[in-house]
Amino acid sequence: MESKLDGVVEEEETRKVQFDASEIEYVSYGGEHHLPLIMNLVDQELSEPYSIFTYRYFVYLWPQLSFLAFHRGKCVGTVVCKMGEHRGTFRGYIAMLVVIKPYRGEGIASELVTRSIKVMMESGCDEVTLEAEVTNKGALALYGRLGFIRAKRLFHYYLNGVDAFRLKLLFPRMESHPSLPLMANAADNQRDNDGL
Amino acid sequence: MDPKMDSGMICKYYSVDEAIENGAAPIPLSFDRTVDVQCTIDIMDHLLSCEATWHRGHSLAQTVFSCIYLLRPDRTSSHALLHSYCSVIRATCKAVIAVVSDARTHEEEDLFIMAYGLPLTGDGDDKCLSMLNAVEETICRQLRACKSPLLKNRAPEDVEPLQNSFDLEEHYCRALLCRLRFRKHFYHVLTCMRRPQGRGLELARKHIASCLLELDLIRNSSTFLSNNSFGKDDSEDTTTASGRQPLGFDSSLNCRLSAPTPPRAIKLLSWKKALDYFVKLLRDLDNICSYSLDTFLEGVFRFVVQFQKSQPDLVARSLLQFLLVQDGKLYGRDPLYAVITKAAGLPESAKNHENLKNQYIVQLGQLVINLLRVLCTNSAWQRRKLGKILQDWRVIYMQMEMAFKKDIAEIVSISNGENAWMKIFQHILIWVEEQTYWISSRFLVLGFELELYSPSDYCMVYWYLSVVLIKLVEKIHLRALMNNETGKRKGKKKGASKDIGKDFRIPPAVSFLQCQVCLAEGLVMMLAALRNEHMIAQSPSPFNSEYERFFQHFELLQKACIPDNITYDSYEQSTRLARISNLVTYNCFKDAQKIAKELKSSFSNDPEKLVELRRIEQVAEHNSVALNLIHKVGGLDPSLKISFEFNHHPYFGTALVKRS
Ligand SMILES: CC(C)(COP(=O)(O)OP(=O)(O)OC[C@H]1O[C@@H](n2cnc3c(N)ncnc32)[C@H](O)[C@@H]1OP(=O)(O)O)[C@@H](O)C(=O)NCCC(=O)NCCS
Repeated sequence: MESKLDGVVEEEETRKVQFDASEIEYVSYGGEHHLPLIMNLVDQELSEPYSIFTYRYFVYLWPQLSFLAFHRGKCVGTVVCKMGEHRGTFRGYIAMLVVIKPYRGEGIASELVTRSIKVMMESGCDEVTLEAEVTNKGALALYGRLGFIRAKRLFHYYLNGVDAFRLKLLFPRMESHPSLPLMANAADNQRDNDGL
Repeated sequence: MDPKMDSGMICKYYSVDEAIENGAAPIPLSFDRTVDVQCTIDIMDHLLSCEATWHRGHSLAQTVFSCIYLLRPDRTSSHALLHSYCSVIRATCKAVIAVVSDARTHEEEDLFIMAYGLPLTGDGDDKCLSMLNAVEETICRQLRACKSPLLKNRAPEDVEPLQNSFDLEEHYCRALLCRLRFRKHFYHVLTCMRRPQGRGLELARKHIASCLLELDLIRNSSTFLSNNSFGKDDSEDTTTASGRQPLGFDSSLNCRLSAPTPPRAIKLLSWKKALDYFVKLLRDLDNICSYSLDTFLEGVFRFVVQFQKSQPDLVARSLLQFLLVQDGKLYGRDPLYAVITKAAGLPESAKNHENLKNQYIVQLGQLVINLLRVLCTNSAWQRRKLGKILQDWRVIYMQMEMAFKKDIAEIVSISNGENAWMKIFQHILIWVEEQTYWISSRFLVLGFELELYSPSDYCMVYWYLSVVLIKLVEKIHLRALMNNETGKRKGKKKGASKDIGKDFRIPPAVSFLQCQVCLAEGLVMMLAALRNEHMIAQSPSPFNSEYERFFQHFELLQKACIPDNITYDSYEQSTRLARISNLVTYNCFKDAQKIAKELKSSFSNDPEKLVELRRIEQVAEHNSVALNLIHKVGGLDPSLKISFEFNHHPYFGTALVKRS
């Protein structure tokens, strides 16, 4: 989530927890009882909380795209997404991704988004997008490793005046092979040129 | 997530009237006249913070028009000081909105100009300057009176003091005067800069200088104002010089008027930051006003690109755009066909040719206007738009080329007049291609400025950049050759043109670009070799490959066939075999260095180009050294860490070699 609190963080909250990766349990959104867990996690990262309608919109319509990570019964991370038509392409969108501080840096977020992205891919998405603050180094690195490129910079995107990047991950297409012309359109233009 | 997807708002009052009834905006502000003056100054200061915050991209309703006094223009009429100030604020906002909405580039201004429901024009706001002058005059007299009390005693002129406390009178008078004068000059700056054909620029500069002077005085007044203030807040975030909260503001009042604005509370710029904002704005405006209205398009582009380096905000960029494009002409003065023929290097006489009125040239003129507009937008928006307009430039080129070939075929016996036209047409055709490649290179380069490329993209980006630059060099060179030929034909007899190649000197502009090409090629090969020899970390993505990244980054160029026949395959093939050992023998960086050195004398009176050459030299030198180092120890030392930095040049990286 993007507009983060820059306030002081309690010592207690940031202290790393020792755990083994195998102790983390990943579950797909399972119903209303998961909603407060998700809200709680995301709100911690925001300077102002989102309204409950915002959360409901996502998890009711695309429950299969939201995941939660648990450690010994405690919810420590979550991802919330959607997908749909966008200008002729079928597009996945990652709305929120959070892992609480003591559990960061252990690959939990990567595992959460990877699960969502896989479902998007299997559902026939052509690409996945999201926005991240230009200053959010952690998220940018994470998505970079997954193959996202920074497609655009969005000027003053956030209410605090910070710019954002629109990140995009394009899935390989069946017909797309490097040795073929990139676009049907490019091939047409080519023909015009040759004809002259 | 997009913040606009969320909703939720809280309001204190349901209406402006309710707020007023509750005493949120009393008039007078206090029955104690000293307090009244203090409070008025606080309102002025807070409005300045609001105005700057508005300019920086928040809605008018949540900033300037959070002032209840502004919302009810008639209410203030009994308070001449506050009334005149509110009036000039409204008039200024209106003028600024006009500038920005005329520029209409659809970048960030949609929110900026949204003003429905707000009383932008109060009765008599058109006379705001005379009201302001009258109030200024009164305060001047009060100032004079308090500085010479004896005089006052003698003259029965009866000047009532500004407020009650004699000791503070002079300071309060001065604090008000600089604030009023700033508003007056700032309003003048806007009107002068809006005069047609840049006719008001010189006068605007005088007002800008006065504004800056008054801003200094305003800033200095804070010592006095904060010393004489109770209940102040000393934090850096304060929006007034005194440090007090101003009376009469409620930013939630307009929440129903400003439905499309994000409903969350906003943070205003502090008063000090607001002053800084205006100083920066005025410097940017001064920069525009001192521009010499270059008649060469290349010079115009150069000015705009240079201007953008200081990252001017929306208002300054809109005023620049207004200056450049008025009534469909450059500076509202030069018709576009004339600008284009001049830019294409055609002789003055070509301007009068009949055919210049043809549809292609008219369309081309429109494209040039669009380009100028786009170049004035913020760089994030600019890059997206440049990518899109490339398609238009490509299409018009193809249409013109087709028309050209058809004409050539039809004209069997070329009469003299037609021949002349074909020459002009050919020049313009090459010029169009040249512009297309220039736009492409700017599109690619802006990606660095906006940090759109990650280190794993650098290799393909430099590769594409070098391909585009080579094309650009080719076109510039070709046009130079043609101009040379035209020139020769005029001077010498026909037939002498056979040996043009011989004494034709490569124009410095061409060598300059060649130098950049060498640097880009050097970087491509270095990055490719490091990748091929596994000396830079690469982690393949689980979901896609380099091909998809290439496609996404260059989709718009590829769609427009810029250049023809360039695909991912071409990139793959030209970098597949790169090895460090080969690079050491054939070192592009050395070439870049050499050309840069030689070129300096050609640009001795162009400081901008000299700086660029110096930077290129530095990057080339560093990378050359790094290359040798990597070659010597690279294979032996697996702990070698290589990264790229932009410490010498904004978009040509320098290799940093470290042992980890
Ligand atoms: C961003 C966030 C979700 C990452 O959670 P995480 O579980 O620590 O991430 P992972 O452990 O899966 O990290 C995967 C990779 O991302 C990168 N990364 C993550 N955090 C990083 C950081 N702070 N600095 C640099 N790189 C970072 C690393 O490359 C890491 O791989 P590595 O550990 O093998 O080097 C977490 O920091 C968070 O909740 N932040 C606040 C909310 C937020 O910004 N969400 C993203 C909104 S778009």
